[in-house]
Amino acid sequence: MKEKLQQIKLLSRDPVLLTVIIAILVSLVLFILYPLSKVIIVSVYPKGEFTVDFLAKVVTSWHLRQAFFNSLLMGVLTAVFGSLVGFIFAFTITRTNIPFKKFFNLMAIIPIISPPFIGALAIIMLFGNNGFITSTIFGLSNFKIYGIRGLLFAQIVTFFPVAYITLKGVLESISPTLEDAAMDLGGSRFKVFKRVTLPLAVPGLASAMLILFIETLADFGNPLILAGSRFPILSVQAYLEITGMYNLPKGAALAFALLIPSLTAFFIQKYWVSKKQYVTITGKPTVSSIKLVSPVVKWLLFATVSLFALVIIMIYATIMWGAFVNIWGSDNTFTLRHFYYVFGVGFEAVKDTLIIAGVSTPISGFMGMVIAFLVVRKRFPGKQFMEISSLLSFAVPGTVIGIGYILAFNDYPIMLTGTLSILLLNFIFRYIPVGIQSGIAVLRQVDPSIEEAAIDLGADSRSTFRRVTLPLMIPAFFSGLIYSFVRAMTAISAAIFLVSSKWNLMTVQIMSQVNSGRLGAAAAFSLVLVLIILIAILFIRSLISYRYGKLGGTMLKI
Amino acid sequence: MIRKASLIMVALALIAVLPFTVFAGGEQEKTVPEEVVVYASVDEANAKKILDAFTEDTGIKVAFVHLSSGPAFSRIQAEGNNPQADVWLGAPSENHILAKEEGLTLEYKSDDYENLGAQFKDPDGYWRCFYMNPMAFGVNTEALEKAGAPMPTSWADLTNPVYEGLIQAPTPQASGTAYNIIASLVTMMGEDEAFDYMADLNSNIQTYTSSGTGPSKAVAVGQCAIGIQFTPAFFQFISEGYPLEVVFPKEGVGFEAPAVSIIKGGKNTAAAKILVDWLVSKDGQDVLSEANTFFYPVNPAAQLADGMPAFESLKTVSFDVEWAGSNKERLVERWVNEVLAAK
Repeated sequence: MKEKLQQIKLLSRDPVLLTVIIAILVSLVLFILYPLSKVIIVSVYPKGEFTVDFLAKVVTSWHLRQAFFNSLLMGVLTAVFGSLVGFIFAFTITRTNIPFKKFFNLMAIIPIISPPFIGALAIIMLFGNNGFITSTIFGLSNFKIYGIRGLLFAQIVTFFPVAYITLKGVLESISPTLEDAAMDLGGSRFKVFKRVTLPLAVPGLASAMLILFIETLADFGNPLILAGSRFPILSVQAYLEITGMYNLPKGAALAFALLIPSLTAFFIQKYWVSKKQYVTITGKPTVSSIKLVSPVVKWLLFATVSLFALVIIMIYATIMWGAFVNIWGSDNTFTLRHFYYVFGVGFEAVKDTLIIAGVSTPISGFMGMVIAFLVVRKRFPGKQFMEISSLLSFAVPGTVIGIGYILAFNDYPIMLTGTLSILLLNFIFRYIPVGIQSGIAVLRQVDPSIEEAAIDLGADSRSTFRRVTLPLMIPAFFSGLIYSFVRAMTAISAAIFLVSSKWNLMTVQIMSQVNSGRLGAAAAFSLVLVLIILIAILFIRSLISYRYGKLGGTMLKI
Repeated sequence: MIRKASLIMVALALIAVLPFTVFAGGEQEKTVPEEVVVYASVDEANAKKILDAFTEDTGIKVAFVHLSSGPAFSRIQAEGNNPQADVWLGAPSENHILAKEEGLTLEYKSDDYENLGAQFKDPDGYWRCFYMNPMAFGVNTEALEKAGAPMPTSWADLTNPVYEGLIQAPTPQASGTAYNIIASLVTMMGEDEAFDYMADLNSNIQTYTSSGTGPSKAVAVGQCAIGIQFTPAFFQFISEGYPLEVVFPKEGVGFEAPAVSIIKGGKNTAAAKILVDWLVSKDGQDVLSEANTFFYPVNPAAQLADGMPAFESLKTVSFDVEWAGSNKERLVERWVNEVLAAK
């Protein structure tokens, strides 16, 4: 208590800091906790009366119970296999000298864009009943794509890039010299992998699996097309209840059910796995001769990633086919009409998406860095609360956040539905954790001894910060930004509930183009989206390497 | 210094975002004469198309707010003493029945009302339907040819083993469209017969989709040859050039038909009456195809868009909305036990 008072006293001497802390705390409550509590309240207090009817349906209805378990099963399987594929890619690229690394890196990043519906439809066109692979090449007439098999395949392809990006960073930060040392001490390759590399990668694997688990729980684009009625999925049910039947209480109850496993996974990760964090950053050069992988294993890995790359190429080639021909799958005349449509009628959405992602990501990244700074370097009451609640939005499926936002901001006193603000706020608070995580990582990386050295060499503290600390922070800040920018450009599970005729997003446009029969336009939209994102990544990257060339190098290879 | 500056920037960013969030909505309400205020539960794009055409035809300005049926109803209810809108456009007829029972809407009969089919209006004149989406088979002619199957013309045709694995339909566990299929089949055939039929049909079904518009997408890309759902998506694919054909089975089909009511006590009741008449007149109905809404007209005199089968081939089956609502849980459960489990 006394300590708290002391902290408050100290804070009151720094009104700017105090204002910032209060503003952040208020906004976290308003834009993260309030919408989430609204989901819970509406599902048990639909008309001002307490009832568990809607929640009970999740337990009593066979169909919803099945959907709940299927969602969990799909989440776990995608988390495991998606992380495995991501790990294989990351390991192959960081630990072997296979050819075409840049190409494989690109192949592992592109599916992160996964246009809703169109990706699933491309899979159907390749592997479905009349699919190119199944029917034309293998001559199977009745290949069953619907259900767990097709869906799991789609989810792994869609979500492994997230695991890849995380794990590549982790594996890069584990100095290969450690592995070299272990092998010099007589460890076999497999033993070194098992006893050195893998344990060091475990925290990264765990957080990759958590993200994949939550993203899969939230996703309804792929399940809507591929799940089929024998394999119901809960997020699809929530989406249909709200957008199709206007049944908010029931939709909210289903969202509440989704919240429970994702929060559980989040807290397990936070309190159990994060205690096992290993840090091996030394600042010393890490040149390795890459001896960990034997030639046989190397070519096996090469074959595996090549196979995956082939699948990804086929999916995107199919989308490209849809974008450039008159009628996807039945009239192969070359045409640009779908692109005329995208740059004519659909251009508003392109503009809106760029504005929304462009405005929200820097604000979000900046707030994240500030929160990280406050949490790591300052002491104040409510610090724990600030950390947990700001990371919370990461642990909540997008579907739940989106439903929470329409429930919370649809009415007096804060009427936001249909405005730009609701989309901006959603994206800002959704991607704050990205900024926090890279901020904390940076602040830990910046060893005070580097700053001290600068001071010893005669720099004052201001120029030390400007010339030493800031350049170290900025590249990480921007590579965090790239990630949240890409997510903001491609997110749909929350945004679908928040768009309006005035403010629309490309991903939602893709979805509604599919719904209104313009598959070609949807495919063209998808290609434009991929292109914009690749350009944005290249642009941010070259901007930083131009400005902070030497320092930025390693951090920017997403 | 820089840290402080950055803190100030965050504070500014927050201050910048917070206030322009607080005000939104409440932009209409002008008292220009010859104006009509509409709560539209039709999707926003189509509501705009239809109402713009009305303004062009009549010179009456329309201010409309898009509200889905639940919120629209509660708003009209809440504003009962001081109605802010004149017309409630869209939302399925059961909502309008409720509004009538609560005394929120106005009785109005005219020549245009009398011309409508009985299944599209309230006998007392409180509400009328202004477009419909019939249930239909959407057939991918290329996929059908590839499978060597003939064009189906009736519900009975679909149980022919030649269609095995070629048909998609939505599941009533997740989709209102699917329940419409069940309710209309039960109305047409009788309950036991309808369930026997659906169990037969089940062996030809490739998959049931969660979404009511799922089948049309699979039909479009040739994943299946026949989809059963409401027609708009099929017509859209046809207008895009996909090799689809729409067939109304000859036994009859269910339909959904959003209705329109005049709100009692509105400020522009005269203009509201003109709008309601216009909507079901030939002029208003022609707009449905001219403006590419892909809605099917309720007035047989109206022109049809490309790909729409002739009005005569459509035999609508209406069912008792109240009966359908109160039996829903039981019928869906029976469907799960007898149809889904039949395989």
